[in-house]
Amino acid sequence: MADRSTKPLDRDAQSAQRTRRGLLRGCLRFGAALGVGALLPRRAEAFGEAARLVFAQVRHAGRWDPRPDGLPRLAWEVSRRTSIDTLPTVRPVSLADPEIFKTPFAVLSSDGAFPALSDAEVAGLRRYLSYGGLLLIDDASAQKGGSFEQSVRAMLAAVLPGAPLKPILREHVLYKAFYLLDGPSGRLAATPDLLGIELGGRLAVIYSGNDLAGALARDSFGAWEYEVVPGGESQRERAIRLGVNLLMYAMCLDYKEDQVHISFIMKRRRI
Amino acid sequence: MDTAAYNAWRITALTSLPAWALLLALGAVAGGVFLTGLGLRGEPSALRKRLLWTLRVVAALLVLGLLLEPGLELRAETRVKARIALLLDTSKSMRLPAHAGSEPASRMQEALAWVKKHEADLQSLAARFQVDVYGFDKELTPQDAGKLASLSEGPGAAKAARELAAGTSTDLLSSLSAAARAGSGGRPLAGLVLASDGADNEGLEAAGPTARQELEKLGAPVFALPIGGAAQLDLAVEHLQHDDFAFVRSPVKLRVRLSQQGFEKKTVPVTLRREGVVVAQADAKLDGKSRTAEVELQFMPDRTGKFAFTVSVPVYEGEALKDNNKKSFTLNVIRDRVRVLLVVGHPSWDVRFLRQLLKRDPNVDLISFFILRTPSDDTHSSQDELSLIPFPTNEIFSEQLRTFDLVIFQDFNHRPYHMSQYLDGIAAYVRDGGAFAMLGGEQSFSAGDYLNTAIEEILPLSLVPPGAPAVDETAAVLKLTEAGKRHPITELVPGTAQNEALWGKLPRLPGLNTAGTIKPGAQVLVQAQDGRPVLVVGEAGRGRTLSLLTDASWQWSFVAAGQELGPRAYETFWHSAIRWLVRDPALTPMRVQAERPVFEPGEPPALGVEVRGSDYGAAGGAQLVVQLTNGETGQVAPVSGGTAGESGDARVLLPPLAEGAWRATVVARRPDGTEVGVAEEAFTVAPSGPELLQPAPRPELLELIAKATGGRLIDEGTSLSGLPFRDPERVEVGQRVTRPLWDTWTVLALLAAVVGAEWVLRRRWGHA
Repeated sequence: MADRSTKPLDRDAQSAQRTRRGLLRGCLRFGAALGVGALLPRRAEAFGEAARLVFAQVRHAGRWDPRPDGLPRLAWEVSRRTSIDTLPTVRPVSLADPEIFKTPFAVLSSDGAFPALSDAEVAGLRRYLSYGGLLLIDDASAQKGGSFEQSVRAMLAAVLPGAPLKPILREHVLYKAFYLLDGPSGRLAATPDLLGIELGGRLAVIYSGNDLAGALARDSFGAWEYEVVPGGESQRERAIRLGVNLLMYAMCLDYKEDQVHISFIMKRRRI
Repeated sequence: MDTAAYNAWRITALTSLPAWALLLALGAVAGGVFLTGLGLRGEPSALRKRLLWTLRVVAALLVLGLLLEPGLELRAETRVKARIALLLDTSKSMRLPAHAGSEPASRMQEALAWVKKHEADLQSLAARFQVDVYGFDKELTPQDAGKLASLSEGPGAAKAARELAAGTSTDLLSSLSAAARAGSGGRPLAGLVLASDGADNEGLEAAGPTARQELEKLGAPVFALPIGGAAQLDLAVEHLQHDDFAFVRSPVKLRVRLSQQGFEKKTVPVTLRREGVVVAQADAKLDGKSRTAEVELQFMPDRTGKFAFTVSVPVYEGEALKDNNKKSFTLNVIRDRVRVLLVVGHPSWDVRFLRQLLKRDPNVDLISFFILRTPSDDTHSSQDELSLIPFPTNEIFSEQLRTFDLVIFQDFNHRPYHMSQYLDGIAAYVRDGGAFAMLGGEQSFSAGDYLNTAIEEILPLSLVPPGAPAVDETAAVLKLTEAGKRHPITELVPGTAQNEALWGKLPRLPGLNTAGTIKPGAQVLVQAQDGRPVLVVGEAGRGRTLSLLTDASWQWSFVAAGQELGPRAYETFWHSAIRWLVRDPALTPMRVQAERPVFEPGEPPALGVEVRGSDYGAAGGAQLVVQLTNGETGQVAPVSGGTAGESGDARVLLPPLAEGAWRATVVARRPDGTEVGVAEEAFTVAPSGPELLQPAPRPELLELIAKATGGRLIDEGTSLSGLPFRDPERVEVGQRVTRPLWDTWTVLALLAAVVGAEWVLRRRWGHA
């Protein structure tokens, strides 16, 4: 909703992002990602980390952190683009650890198969999802039907039996939570849809098969770590926007489906 | 036998044989005679033929005589006078004026004057009939005509008439039937004389088939004298059809039935007032023919509570009754759903869990506005690529504000959105009965630029000045205060000890907004281990406010779920908080309730009051003052309500009040003058029965009754003795005795002789 900004939109930002070798600019951004975000004019006081969004990275027995720079970058982008306060850090946590409940948004990722979860992890994840947690599963391999996807499906069959992953329709509020999007995006375009599982009327599990974090990851010099194909930088921007929408949905749920928004959104969809 | 006691006789049959046996015997005898006729066809001598015929007929008659056993019934007969029932209406409607005028006599006085006028007439009638006099309302009461006549004169006539007319309802049909059945000594009913205003309260419609059957069963004509109904002008609010409760901000329909008498075609304005304020008006059209006319009023209650309403029509010149031109009622306005406005400074987990809870609650209608982007955010997109909409501050905080039951500011700084101009309005909305909650965060309380604003004035705590830290990151372990131990908001589970233990187990908070001082009357319900307030509630005017100085209450749901506590504590807390904020009746500390919804005129209405402070503790010794608001005029009159007992309970006896609807606002004050609380109740003062609610004379009903029974209407000059009553007397048999006319054996011997003689002659004359 509320948009009181009157400053011109930063139209050249996308072209600037195409110059991977803009080291200076990249360094500035990297610096911001490391914590210069506090310089943003919004904050007058600090109120502890609990008030800010921090990703929980699910630690499993496989390669659980294939894109270590992706999520911090997403946190930084969200903080820069929206009113959500984030910490550009990731909190690795086991599904069996009650600490995971301090972060209602968790990300599970890998670039290949991973061993089955322990019983404690299965129970922990089931409880986490049932009481309001959101799990984003990001396939870093971006291989449709690949070993990671098979591991994920096996895991979900154990955690939420009878609730298989289903395509998330384009009309879903997820695609209009902040940006008006027409589909998923990521480092690759392996799958046309996000998949999801709904619990109690909200998405509890979201599966991205296009390596979303890979599109956002930067190296230590601020350069994009991976090329984005086939769409190039515009696809990368769409991936960032999808990441923003995912977080906005996690925090606002179906807010954009309130009656007050519908006429505005329909009008803009037609433009 | 002494026959002197008998003055009449008749021949009768003493047989005990059944009718069919007698018929059979008659047939057999007739057959015997017929066969005799056939057998005598060949007899040449006419003399012989006649003799044999005669003998056979005599024998047949003797047989019949034997079977019938004729006897003589001696009777002691008397001639009895028929009965006339004179019924005088003694219901309360007879207290009303008989006709328009400055000081008109009552209908009862007019009826008594009629009795007096016809005293001689009644005496002459009594020479021919037994005259039974009754008063009636819903049942009969024997009366003495002479005594009734005497009541019509003298200085106490008006009072005597009023005392006589004390019946609480009128049932014409039952009274007529009872009078017809009653009688004395089984006298036949020659007729009924009915003096009444016809204001029946039992739904009698004389044209209906059931009523007509009942009237025909009377078996005698009714001669009816209409009292007070001759060419009168009257308009009345006869009936209101409405629900017992209504939903706030939902249309309420009220169906009004007017009754009229003597009016030509006319348009009548019908007005609905809530405590003096006109809330609806509509025109009713009288067609000059129908006795009743209906109109529908519609209005939209804008707040909850129990209110006093009055429907009225103008009093026109010449009307017989003025009091029936209005009718009052009370209406309990409740919420169907709590309408909540949630304004959020930025998305957060606290927002997410509160929104989820409110959206799931079927009793909550949630309107929320989240600030998703601040002026400093760079979205890297055009406006058309975003789903964002402008923040409609004017529409929300000017036009729609009072449609909400509760406004929540969640970590929201008003300054960037130029909302200073609306803060006064929000405060006024709360003081007028709204509710406001401010939830903590880095943009809330002092950090939200509310210092020295109207919002600070309504908060239960003061804010810290600029320069002082607006937040304190020291983790807070939760602890209930004494007030929190008995407040409904903080009761997460039953039992003080269990509840206290549960609060102690809830996840500690990572930091708190800093509060200044707690305002007088406000209650700190939950505090940190070091005394910092966490949850503070208070009242502002007629509204309520809540301050939760954290943005991490969501942890009581999700983090608690991870600790095996489950999310129930969070859900219970918020549900209770919302109910308390919007003054859910179940969570109101001070309560007042009328002992009955309707009190009789002249009866002192009684109220039961439970005086509890905002901390829900009993306020014994509190001084009570009752403000009485009239439902029609809106005029307010204070009345002393006495003092609450040690338990905080009190029974307040109000002075007798005029008819109408009333709202009682009970204010309780401590001996030092500070206010403990306020509670409201509405009740009605009106006659309990229908008698005075439908008092209009109905001469047309009396005419229908009279015609249905073969009688007619009479006027006050009609001679009673000249009325066409039924037969004045009838014969009654007091005593009777029977004796046989002849000895049976003699008749038997005679029969044998006749039959024998016939047999001998028939043999001698050659007949078989």
